[in-house]
Amino acid sequence: MLRDITLGQYYPGESLIHKLDPRIKILATFIFIIELFLITEFIQYLWILLFLGMVIIISGVPLKFMLKGLQPLMIIIILTFGINIFMTKGEVLWTLGPLNITREGLHQALFMGSRLILLIIGSSVLTLTTKPIKLTDGIEKLLNPFKKIGLPAHELAMMMTIALRFIPTLLEETDKIMKAQMARGADFESGNLLKRAKSLIPLLVPLFISAFRRADELAMAMEARCYRGGENRTRMHELEFHYKDIIAFLVVLCLLGIIVWQRLR
Amino acid sequence: MSIKVENITHIYNEQMPYETTALDHVSVEIESGEFVGIIGHTGSGKSTFIQHLNGLLKPKSGKIYINGIDITEKKVKAPEIRQKVGLVFQYPEYQLFEETVFKDIAFGPSNLGLPQNEIEQRVYEALSLVGLDYREVTDKSPFDLSGGQKRRVAIAGVIAMKPEVLILDEPTAGLDPKGHKEILDMIKKMHKKEKNTIILVSHNMGDIAELSDRIIVMEKGKVVLTGSPKEVFKNADYIESIGLGLPPAMILMRMLKQRGKHVYTDILTIDQAEKQILNLLRSK
Ligand SMILES: Nc1ncnc2c1ncn2[C@@H]1O[C@H](COP(=O)(O)OP(=O)(O)O)[C@@H](O)[C@H]1O
Ligand SMILES: [Mg+2]
Repeated sequence: MLRDITLGQYYPGESLIHKLDPRIKILATFIFIIELFLITEFIQYLWILLFLGMVIIISGVPLKFMLKGLQPLMIIIILTFGINIFMTKGEVLWTLGPLNITREGLHQALFMGSRLILLIIGSSVLTLTTKPIKLTDGIEKLLNPFKKIGLPAHELAMMMTIALRFIPTLLEETDKIMKAQMARGADFESGNLLKRAKSLIPLLVPLFISAFRRADELAMAMEARCYRGGENRTRMHELEFHYKDIIAFLVVLCLLGIIVWQRLR
Repeated sequence: MSIKVENITHIYNEQMPYETTALDHVSVEIESGEFVGIIGHTGSGKSTFIQHLNGLLKPKSGKIYINGIDITEKKVKAPEIRQKVGLVFQYPEYQLFEETVFKDIAFGPSNLGLPQNEIEQRVYEALSLVGLDYREVTDKSPFDLSGGQKRRVAIAGVIAMKPEVLILDEPTAGLDPKGHKEILDMIKKMHKKEKNTIILVSHNMGDIAELSDRIIVMEKGKVVLTGSPKEVFKNADYIESIGLGLPPAMILMRMLKQRGKHVYTDILTIDQAEKQILNLLRSK
């Protein structure tokens, strides 16, 4: 049930994409998103599709797994599609009661829908192929220059690491408490909104208690091992750039170049 | 209340790179009034198995009959099964949530839609079955109790639903020796009084050997041994080979035998060990 959420989940593997430096992957994802927003014509999606398809094939993550990440966001996709298809003025193709579907609307809806889907899939490649710990390491390193202006990069990264580390634990805990209360006849699925909200109390109270307990234990364990922020801290696995990172980055930049050039033309 | 499990298989995270077959064609029959002990290494599938018995988990394939009714079918109502088969999870005290002990134990019975006086009666009975003083704890916050008491309140919360089958998943895990003994004595007493079916998952071989009418040994998602404690512990070497221990009394006898003493090694309880040792001393 709750465990089926794939967005932001790591898919273990040994592919080239998995092995790329997280900093490169984060930057590449940003550039990929910029590319998506620079695109003005349908035909340009071919570049994106080509690039994304290549990345997915190299990563070895099954397409089915990627598409599963779309499910929880289906409502947003449908909403985007729906708003665009009905709200754009232009040459009327069909009429559905008070609503008109225009040629421009259809085009716009498909264009925006594709952009959203590619955006979600593209960014899930990052989280699917990068261990959360690596991801936060990368973010910390990328934020380092901003330390000078007082940004607590290490603390932010540590908070993110801890949060990511505890998501599966809390999901597991939720699952367990839910089952335990269901064994006592609790019903989380039926009834009106008020009844459902009320039925969450037996779940939320134990969940909060356990989250606080865990936070307390973790803080204690960190202090017992003399943890104290980022100053002078070395790491077990230093991040290093390799040739493959540079090549990967060049590929993404090439793509950006093509799209910018086509736009300027 | 008979339970018949036919060939069930359960796979977690199916079709993902980290899928686990937690149950692999498991078949088990449990008769009414039986005390069944389940043992097995951590990860052998015990918890997964028992969650199938009250419909919290559905098998990928196979059937589960409770009193002849197949609960894997869609039309069977979940609350009915859960009332008949009570399940106490591991560390059940983590599911306490109400302001008072009374309200927490009443949660189950009120979900069954019972009238208020019946609920009160059941809370009272459940508390006395788990050996807590009604007047002392009923208005207390469950979070103010000691570890052992919290656990007993949590167990009472399930008992109050009067299940015909009571399943306990490692009910003594993490308790001190005193708390351990109290919980165990309570289970024993309850089984004697209520004559209900009890399924006990435990790592304590001494407890399992002493209490169970029948033992089920699980290993890697399969049932590898089943039978009376005597029959099961005959395979002592095999049981040790899958990473499980033996009852302390049996270990003692095996050690004495190794030193050349004439004792039987197929004994399970401390009382039997005592007799053997007395015999040994007398025969000198
Ligand atoms: N909710 C779950 N999701 C995924 N895997 C699980 C889950 N629960 C248990 N498992 C896996 O199934 C196997 C059996 O676990 P479990 O039934 O808890 O064994 P036991 O209770 O005997 O220790 C283990 O390999 C465990 O990692
Ligand atoms: Mg278990």
